[in-house]
Amino acid sequence: MREQRRKDAVWMFLTYAFILTMVVVMLIPLYWMIVAATLPQQEFIEFPPRLIPGTAFLDNFAALQERMNYVVTIWNSVFIAVVYTVLSLLLCSMAGFAFAKYEFRFKEPLFYAILATLVLPIQLLVIPLFLMMSQIGWTDTFRAIIIPWLANPIGIFLMRQNMRSIPDALLESARMDGASELQIFYRIALPAMRSSLAALAIILFLFQWDLFLYPLVILEDPGNYTIPVALAGLEGTQRIYYDQIMVATTLAIIPMAILFLVLQKQFVSGILAGSLKE
Amino acid sequence: MSQETESTGKQITHGEPSILDRLRFARQDVAAKLPPLRGERIAYLLVSPFFVLFGLFLAFPVVYTLYLSFFEWQSVGQGNLFWVDFGPFYVEVPRIAELQFIGLSNYVRLAGDGLFWQSMFNTTYILLIQVPLMIGLALALAVALNASFVRFKGFFRTAIALPISANIVAYSTVFLLLFNEQFGFINYMLSQVGVSPIAWLTSEFWARKTIIAAVTWRWIGYNMIILLAGLQNIPQQLYEAAEIDGASRLEKFRYVTLPQLRPVLLFVVVLSTIGTFKLFAEPYVITGGGPTNATITIVQYIYRQAFVHWNLGYASALTVVFVGLVSAISIAQIRIGGDD
Repeated sequence: MREQRRKDAVWMFLTYAFILTMVVVMLIPLYWMIVAATLPQQEFIEFPPRLIPGTAFLDNFAALQERMNYVVTIWNSVFIAVVYTVLSLLLCSMAGFAFAKYEFRFKEPLFYAILATLVLPIQLLVIPLFLMMSQIGWTDTFRAIIIPWLANPIGIFLMRQNMRSIPDALLESARMDGASELQIFYRIALPAMRSSLAALAIILFLFQWDLFLYPLVILEDPGNYTIPVALAGLEGTQRIYYDQIMVATTLAIIPMAILFLVLQKQFVSGILAGSLKE
Repeated sequence: MSQETESTGKQITHGEPSILDRLRFARQDVAAKLPPLRGERIAYLLVSPFFVLFGLFLAFPVVYTLYLSFFEWQSVGQGNLFWVDFGPFYVEVPRIAELQFIGLSNYVRLAGDGLFWQSMFNTTYILLIQVPLMIGLALALAVALNASFVRFKGFFRTAIALPISANIVAYSTVFLLLFNEQFGFINYMLSQVGVSPIAWLTSEFWARKTIIAAVTWRWIGYNMIILLAGLQNIPQQLYEAAEIDGASRLEKFRYVTLPQLRPVLLFVVVLSTIGTFKLFAEPYVITGGGPTNATITIVQYIYRQAFVHWNLGYASALTVVFVGLVSAISIAQIRIGGDD
């Protein structure tokens, strides 16, 4: 018995040690980023490196803002990602609901088409999409960044899997009460899927937030740049201002971090709700 | 149903049911046999917006890429349209330059293109280390955070998952500086414990490790959360039963956790493999593909061919081969890892 208790104590110690080590490893780059953002450039590239944050954050930000309108850049990224997430959630949940709860012709082949594109690295549609966009005159517009990715295969796949867990009896009783099919969708199916929708919202937002190659070739006017494109631009210039880049980087984390903190509980419960367990 | 027979009951007294009634019966009959078909129209309504966009921006570009891969792109200049016949489909597509049909030449060229094979090798090398490392750590973390005695779970989970908030180019830049050979934090820490500075970005061996470290850092938390969700779905009774049988921690992990987690693990492995295969921003920012092309990835090479050299036809051929390869690997993973 005592032997067992000692083993348990060792195990607990090792578990905590592992978790804490990983937490430190994960936070070091973020901490260092903040340190770098709050120091003037010349102090930052000293050796040994400074480990305590300085006070130059606002100065660095002002210098950055002078070179490029970074506030607008953040706004562009947030705007694009939010509009994209909302529209794609709607499309994916509508289609996912149909796949989960209705029978219709071509259902099987359509679903296989989705499964096929699920393993397709869709970033590589950049060449044909670039050509299509330049032909229809959409280059350098937000709609060119948003619309082509709305039909997200992971989105419809996740919604279809999770919506199958909605009991048919629930839908049937709503029909008895005279609800139309569309009402059933938005009054019953959507609210029941709240946590899955939250999980998908994070996935979709993150997808759009991370798009780099595509906006890089589509956007031309610096006023339209999204965060990754603007940051890449900052690095391309001849003299590299690391302090400004670190300010830009720190600010770039905030919107996604907020979304993640707000939705992470639902992400955990929603991502696998009723799926993958067939 | 009973209401219907009541209302039609009157007519039965007149003898034969009218043709309209017979039609109605037939319709009810069909409806009773195929209940869900009632929703067919609504189903089309629900799926059509998705599939219109899917067709335009996913299916069509895929076919278009395949088509382009048989052409050579000459001089660039915006202008007219040309059209494409895909059997029954007649589609007008943009023309940026003269297209010349060259058959399989792009594919022949690709077979002998050393840099393409180099980029394939680099990507595979990074993948084979990065995906097992990341999934292993994410799984260990998920199991640790799922242990009943661990407190502050929410805090730990958030801290570990925080890196996914960092924008892809943003975090790559942070790593570029962290691993800087003169003033980077990593070399400073190493110097404190007596290790001489490492050429993280300029030696072939270490540059790949730096990329691996960066990608792993960003995605551990994301995968951990999905695995944690999977762990929480495992029925507690299975563990209790194993405990009664006297199973050790390792045995419980081996015989309960792993088999129960298999579908979730598969999901995570397939997505991570695809994700690492299409690695682009990290090497683009951190190493620029160097030193001497040691970290150039397939997508980065395709980008170079397409948008630096404007060899769109050749880049399309590279894309076709790449997509085929990734799809084949994903399908193989699903075959091997699935419950068949």
